[in-house]
Amino acid sequence: MKEFFQMVKTWDIILIVLLILLSFLPFGIFTYQQAAQAGNDSTLVAVITVDNQETRRVPLTGNTETEVFDIVVSEHEKNTVEVDHEHIRIKSATCSDQVCVRTGAISKPGETIVCLPHKIVIEIQSTTNEPTDEEIIISS
Amino acid sequence: MTNNQRLVYIALLAAQAVIISLLERAIPFPFAVAPGAKLGLANIITCMALYTLSTKDAGKVVMIRITLATLLGGTISTFMYSGAGALLSFIGMWGVKKLGPSRISLIGVSVTGAILHNVGQLTIASWIAQTWTVLLYLPVLSFIGILSGIAIGIIANYLLNHVEKLQYYRSLQELNYTR
Repeated sequence: MKEFFQMVKTWDIILIVLLILLSFLPFGIFTYQQAAQAGNDSTLVAVITVDNQETRRVPLTGNTETEVFDIVVSEHEKNTVEVDHEHIRIKSATCSDQVCVRTGAISKPGETIVCLPHKIVIEIQSTTNEPTDEEIIISS
Repeated sequence: MTNNQRLVYIALLAAQAVIISLLERAIPFPFAVAPGAKLGLANIITCMALYTLSTKDAGKVVMIRITLATLLGGTISTFMYSGAGALLSFIGMWGVKKLGPSRISLIGVSVTGAILHNVGQLTIASWIAQTWTVLLYLPVLSFIGILSGIAIGIIANYLLNHVEKLQYYRSLQELNYTR
């Protein structure tokens, strides 16, 4: 232990603190942005995109049901998504790394579940109530 | 160091790094909190290469490691992630090491490497996913990166101080540097 403290130099500590602050930078920018655009009527929508193309929007605010559906990318690439009240998660996936399943349920704006092998992204966005009509057209 | 010795040493380091990264891939997921986090054990070799070889040769070690580890069980997307991470972390480690041994120890170098590796990977991930909210995951990863970076710095320091040949190569390298 004594050896360890002898080993640490001043710049080590300065660097580590700087890097911690740097890693919170995107988080800070994001909360700042959210605070700027947060309206009263905003509702949360989970947007599911496959290969950069939006395939489905699931409204989360006020949702009281449990729904399970599959996203089929190709024959052997399938992710099962579960929407439980205001949370969404990937229940199972056929991908190699399973990072998306381990991410667990998300419910706050800006949170994402990413399945890189299948190029699936689930992102929670906060929107205002107006464009509901369009959403119905997209999801049908 | 003769030219042949240098070549064999580079090859040896690269081979060790490849084996370490393959072994690490076989360990099933040590951190329950952060999916996708890794120990980054192969960083030990990068640290040792930086301290015992010239910058050009250390870069060669890193390049050989990434290419071989991909060929031995990776995909083109893992190659992009680890390539971007390794490139960024190598540049960062090299820059930090330039501060000189009186100001920075191996701990600082390896922590910088670990965190910049995460930054590089997440940047590529957010580029592929086309949403930069992926970067919000950075604090979790860098927290683990700092812990494992400190541990790896200590390990690498121990190796550099106790393996006779490494000590010798390091003193040679420092001689070259000052000359």
